[in-house]
Amino acid sequence: MSLLSEIEECGEVIGKDTIDSFLACMQCGKCTGSCPSGRVTSYRTRRVINRLQAGDRSVLADPNLWMCTTCYTCYERCPREVRITDIIRAVRNLAAKEGYMSKSHRATASYVIKTGHAVPINDETKKLRKELGLSEVPPTTHKFPKALESIRKIIKKTNFDKLVGFDWDTMSLEERGEK
Amino acid sequence: MRIGVYVCHCGLNIARVIDVDDLRKFAEKEADVVVAKDIDYLCSDSSQNQIKEDIKEYGLDRVVIASCSPRMHEETFRKCVKSAGVNPYLLEIANIREQCSWVHNDELKATEKAKDLLKMAIAKVRNSKVLEERKVPINKNVLIVGGGIAGIHAALELAKAGITVFMVEKNPTIGGKMALLNVVFPTNDCSICVLAPKMSEVSSNDNIKLFSYSEITSIEGRVGDFIVKIKKKPRYVDEDKCKGCIYDCSSVCPIDIPNEYDFNVGRRKAIYIPIPQAVPNIAVIDPENCVGCKFCEEGCNADAIDFSQREEEIELNVGTIIVTTGYQPFDARKKDEYGYGRFKNVFTTFEIERLLNASGPTKGILARLSDGKIPKKIGFIQCVGSRDKKVNRPYCSKVCCMVSIKNANIIKNRYPDSDITIFYTDIRAGGPEYEEYYEETQRMGVKFIRGNVGEIYEKNNGNLVLSYEDTLECVRKDEEFEMVVLSVGMEQDQSARDLGILLGLTENPDGFFSVIHPKMRPVDSNIDGIYIAGCATGPKEIPDAIVQGLAAASKVMNVLNKGEIELDPMRASLIEDRCDGCSLCVDVCRFNNIKIDKDRKKAVIDETGCHGCGSCAASCPNDAIYLSNFSDAQIISQIDAALEDKKEYPIIIAFFCNWCCYAAADLAGSQKINYPSNIRIIRVICSSMVKPKYVLRAFEKGADGVMVGGCRLGECHYKFGNYDADKRLSILREILSGIGIDSRRLKTVWRAASEGNNIANDISDFTHELITLGPLGFEFSGLDPAILKNNKQK
Repeated sequence: MSLLSEIEECGEVIGKDTIDSFLACMQCGKCTGSCPSGRVTSYRTRRVINRLQAGDRSVLADPNLWMCTTCYTCYERCPREVRITDIIRAVRNLAAKEGYMSKSHRATASYVIKTGHAVPINDETKKLRKELGLSEVPPTTHKFPKALESIRKIIKKTNFDKLVGFDWDTMSLEERGEK
Repeated sequence: MRIGVYVCHCGLNIARVIDVDDLRKFAEKEADVVVAKDIDYLCSDSSQNQIKEDIKEYGLDRVVIASCSPRMHEETFRKCVKSAGVNPYLLEIANIREQCSWVHNDELKATEKAKDLLKMAIAKVRNSKVLEERKVPINKNVLIVGGGIAGIHAALELAKAGITVFMVEKNPTIGGKMALLNVVFPTNDCSICVLAPKMSEVSSNDNIKLFSYSEITSIEGRVGDFIVKIKKKPRYVDEDKCKGCIYDCSSVCPIDIPNEYDFNVGRRKAIYIPIPQAVPNIAVIDPENCVGCKFCEEGCNADAIDFSQREEEIELNVGTIIVTTGYQPFDARKKDEYGYGRFKNVFTTFEIERLLNASGPTKGILARLSDGKIPKKIGFIQCVGSRDKKVNRPYCSKVCCMVSIKNANIIKNRYPDSDITIFYTDIRAGGPEYEEYYEETQRMGVKFIRGNVGEIYEKNNGNLVLSYEDTLECVRKDEEFEMVVLSVGMEQDQSARDLGILLGLTENPDGFFSVIHPKMRPVDSNIDGIYIAGCATGPKEIPDAIVQGLAAASKVMNVLNKGEIELDPMRASLIEDRCDGCSLCVDVCRFNNIKIDKDRKKAVIDETGCHGCGSCAASCPNDAIYLSNFSDAQIISQIDAALEDKKEYPIIIAFFCNWCCYAAADLAGSQKINYPSNIRIIRVICSSMVKPKYVLRAFEKGADGVMVGGCRLGECHYKFGNYDADKRLSILREILSGIGIDSRRLKTVWRAASEGNNIANDISDFTHELITLGPLGFEFSGLDPAILKNNKQK
């Protein structure tokens, strides 16, 4: 199976048309020049697309893939209407399937498993909510711990825990040796 | 009746998908067909000779060709049969390439559809009648719209051949954009120095009558006889008295405003002459900004100021028209990330041309207008408003690479210390001596970085930080520049668009005027007698625009030398017995060609003036008007043939206007855009000729849906034909509902010839809609169409 069709499969929700749009990339570099992440990281948007066009699988193992903040600036500016950000998301799906999910993304996922939130509430936010006249915790898993059980059920059913490498015994991520 | 049928393979263009052998065998079995052949390339000379020989050998009196679109080769084959003694209107073409083999992949379905198309063509030709071409004299005057470099060359070429030319220019001077440029590549000639002599020639040639500062308000008629109305705007300056000194009047004018001829980097007065070399060299008062103080009147020694001038309307009669309306630069404000209009030191190509120009606002000094500083570090950004789908400008503007290289070359020459970088995506420097010029500029030390700049930030000192990736080095950088030049692309001139509507020109997908064939007929518009040259049909550099101007002039001479032209015999004629003088046709004829003879209570049609749209025929309640080559018998025989043996479901009969939807379907073919094969398209001359009875006939014969396609509303080739069609078909929809047929089965679409993609989508969408409605008559079953939900098209 070609890299393209694998990405298409992993990005079924995103859509084939969207993913195939990278074939039209003319390597102008508008995306990299516009990328706020690339300003401070070694993520080079155009290079990712370039390697995809070449069918270069090593792109999946590249930690830079996870440096995109999905701000959609490149998507907005691409003169060939390559739907870059959506493609990055689909490529990440495939990378995750092959065990290359970045540690920070895994950590975020582990919060979802543990608390039902990618960004769980902290004392400061609780204080702020009170000041604004809101309930101390929002009406989510924070207020309804039972709902967390449903979330975990979904996570187990979809094997999301295995994808992320979550150890239910220690309630933490297993070591994968990534940077 | 003896019909010969010829099936073209078109190499593999047709034969790859359609079983031509099967198609030929099918034709052999059709009634009246005495010979059927399939030939590799029908348009070749030897194949045409074969047809001619067959006409003699088999005594053929009618010919049907199954090949590419009639818009491609109808003329070729008409000439071919004519030379063998068959009337050219006893020829029909089945469009099995653009509307079949190029848009369908399924070989079986495509072959079956081709059989239907062929059967329809045979059915039509059986009902065709001998028609004679009308010969009419030609008015020898020529109108040229637009006095840029292309228009000037066309005008001079014609005038030198003794032909009278009327040139209409909307600005106070001719010269177009070229007159405003600094130098031209690759020779570095001063632009106005090479252009000005040509401009003077226009003013001194007795055969050219120049209407500057004038606009066209209406155009009527047809090739050989166009009536053009021109609005001559008042200059408020007497053209005979003004000496063009400009100092006496403008120096006392208190108004000071940005000068559009300097692309607003310079300033002018309310009384001005756009450029020193203006033709005509006559001042003009800009009524938008003049406050009427009349100081200029005091100042002018020649007594030329005349505030009593009023707009004048002039009527001209011409036989042919050349459109050379040029282009306008892309509005760089649409690329927000470059901050043009917000950042003081971001300029466009044209502003730089003016700053570098000796007669520009800085007399050729390249200074930042904000602080007077001469920039050392200058960046050029390419493809601003070109190759960019985000601003709907997907095309390459062709000249901008060389223009930026030229400006870098000039700046480096004048300011050897300057540090210049050109940010490009691909350098396109194809042309005589261009590559050498590019290399020379590289050798001068101008840097070329391959990368489309992401965005620009402005610093407090007015410097600009460009954020970009050097794509060859894979390095992302932030680099500071003192001046940035946006290399803006070309786009269709907005005022030309209005003219296009007056003339009935069509636009290509890029928004420029389209020509009949972009490769083989580069200056022929879709309308006989109207030619287009220069950037009006797309971005071009100066020599190409000149070549096109000359080509258009040669096309005009070609027509004029014949003295008379053969007009298509398309026209409406009256069947007097049936007419009861109701005058409905008089109301729909926008060309005022029908009158009612009150004594006899009969309509009278002026057949020589008839444009042949057929709206009158469709309006007639008694079928008393006959439209040649698109008669009731012909159209109905096509409908019947298409539905005799229904091979697909849902089957759609489409009536597509020759000028737009039919052309759009051809374009979908050229672009190989697939759509369902269940449609049978009948070419009509205008959507307005589609009679309600044709639609009803299609339903009666079992069509699941009927589609009528015309030009975009407001862009009809016959002015308002599509509005007539829309009105008629809306009423028909109500009637359909009244008799229990779901009115959604009758679909109207209004598309331009450039909308290949859209017409393909329309066909797909309509097919899917029909599937949800179920087969024709399902509405009588009383069942819910939802049960058909899974009834996918087989």
